Amino acid sequence: MIVVDVVFFVLDLAVLYSVYVILASSLNLEYGEAGLPNFGKAAFFAVGAFSVGALSVRLGAVFLGMALEGDFKLNSLRWAMSVSQSVARNPFLGLGIFIATLIVAVLVGSVLGVLASYPALRLREDYLGMLLIAFSETIRIVARNYDPLVGGTFGAGVVDFLAWAGSPSREILLLFLSVVVAAIIWIVYYRLSASPFGRALRAMRDNELATESLGRNIVKLRMMAMMIGSAMASVAGVLYAYYVGTVNPDDFTTSKTFLITLMVIIGGSGNPYGPLVGPAVYLAFDRLIQFTKQRLILPFDPNYLSYIVLGVILIIVVDRHPGGIVPEKPTLTLPRELRSLLRQRRVEETWNRK
Amino acid sequence: MAMELLVDAVVYGNLLSLLSIGLSLTLLTTRVSNFAHGDFATVGIYVAYTMSVLFGANPYLFLPFSFVGGLLLGFLVYRVVFEPLRGKASLVTLMIVSMALDFILRYSVQIYADVLQRSLGVYTRGIVFKDVNVNFLGSTLPGLLVISSAVTWLFLLLLYLFLYKTKVGIAMRAVIENPSLSEALGINVKRIYALSWMLAASFAGVAGVFLPFRITVNPDTGFSILLSIFAAVTLGGLESLLGSIVGAYIIAFSETVGVYYLSQIGLSTAYRPAISFITLALVLLLYPRGLAGLWSKR
Repeated sequence: MIVVDVVFFVLDLAVLYSVYVILASSLNLEYGEAGLPNFGKAAFFAVGAFSVGALSVRLGAVFLGMALEGDFKLNSLRWAMSVSQSVARNPFLGLGIFIATLIVAVLVGSVLGVLASYPALRLREDYLGMLLIAFSETIRIVARNYDPLVGGTFGAGVVDFLAWAGSPSREILLLFLSVVVAAIIWIVYYRLSASPFGRALRAMRDNELATESLGRNIVKLRMMAMMIGSAMASVAGVLYAYYVGTVNPDDFTTSKTFLITLMVIIGGSGNPYGPLVGPAVYLAFDRLIQFTKQRLILPFDPNYLSYIVLGVILIIVVDRHPGGIVPEKPTLTLPRELRSLLRQRRVEETWNRK
Repeated sequence: MAMELLVDAVVYGNLLSLLSIGLSLTLLTTRVSNFAHGDFATVGIYVAYTMSVLFGANPYLFLPFSFVGGLLLGFLVYRVVFEPLRGKASLVTLMIVSMALDFILRYSVQIYADVLQRSLGVYTRGIVFKDVNVNFLGSTLPGLLVISSAVTWLFLLLLYLFLYKTKVGIAMRAVIENPSLSEALGINVKRIYALSWMLAASFAGVAGVFLPFRITVNPDTGFSILLSIFAAVTLGGLESLLGSIVGAYIIAFSETVGVYYLSQIGLSTAYRPAISFITLALVLLLYPRGLAGLWSKR
């Protein structure tokens, strides 16, 4: 039994860490490197999960020629179970469903990302952040009330696409899958960040006019950053939905966005290693609190503590170590003094706006 | 029906204007788009609720305590969190710090609610306050309408007198116009900033006391109305106190009346918050100067 417990503990930690690494990398690309505060992150995360919630059962039914009679809201969990039973006999069905939902999620995520990059042209960065929060909450409210999408507040059932593998190997496969996906995405992000594209993004963040005068297309850079970032977040949503096994719109509130943002800043915004460090800090405290919870009797639910701890860490980090735990490394082609001057300029613009 | 809608809209408008004036005040002085502003209201709710459980009287009587609680909280938040960042952080960084502050306050209230429930054995989630009826000019009106309107307008009047007739208030407006020049003229800018946070949090605390008369409240209620407050402030032009009051009443009326029409055409009333989200988005996209752009030359 101990072995099973360990497998589940590691699985939970690995999947959550992978999901957070992907989300933090996507926000770091958009905010840390391109300077676009995408505080609608929860919505792009939700897009991936909603694709799975809305499509996995229906696609399975189409492949199996199964008729779906009745209300999606009331029956999706039952349908998901019967499709999973067929998947248990037919691995290719499971893989087909997984790949199809992944493709849909990435496509929808990228299109929404491109759309969301347009307001960035006109708005000051803090207004953009607010606009995207409003956008993300609108999507959540619609998903919550429009039942045919993901079953409203009931949530939607998700097909277990690894049902054919049987209990312990299914978990191990899921663990490897999420770690491998997260690793691939992080490496792609790392390469992007080190490429001329990444340098152009950071140049745009530091000085738009100068970047434009050097022949870079600001509109296109923004669009690319938002598109790649949103597609990444959708992949995280797909992994998360298959791991949790249900999709509930209320999982994708603005609090999720806040959580990811805090992780990015604590880790180090603008440094590709930041998104590896931030989620690790959060999960370390979270697990520590879970662990002590079983040993102490507290008059309250200790899960709240991990959010408080994260908030306190962020405030300390911003005050004492503004670059985060692993601060952004200066691009080698720019002298260090010039970089600190640029950062100083952004602060001065904030305080001497008038 | 129309009467009920009107009462609901006015009460909600009072609430939102108390909240949005504070939000735009801290935005004007310290440049913080404060995502923790709703949580100040939650603290106000729980101060009044705890007192009314302990002393068994009507929660209206504990308005002053929520006000004082807000003053202390605002002072603490400014001194501990935002003063060290003065002149050091960019707009978005300040926004992110307020997200952290929201986590700290919201989940502290959650823990407080748990502890209160254990120690006093009372419900601390899904709280509702029982309203009283007031006789006003011969007709019976819900107490919430009369009391919240009176309190809100008294506060707004006092704020106006403070900003335009007292030395400290004039100093505050000077600091909003030009912080470095005011500092050169001998105004203690830090003290003015602290004062603006105290005012913002205490107005929010008072607004919080009215909330449970209207809806059932939880430790995350303040957070859930945050975007409506932002919508009001944005509609008002983000940098205008008068604008945010007008914006608050417009948002309150459009949410209340809009939700009535939503139910008429068969849509769920749960779409209600979407009205203010969409207003916020449209104003930012189409006319970011908001209502204040109509009368201010800047």
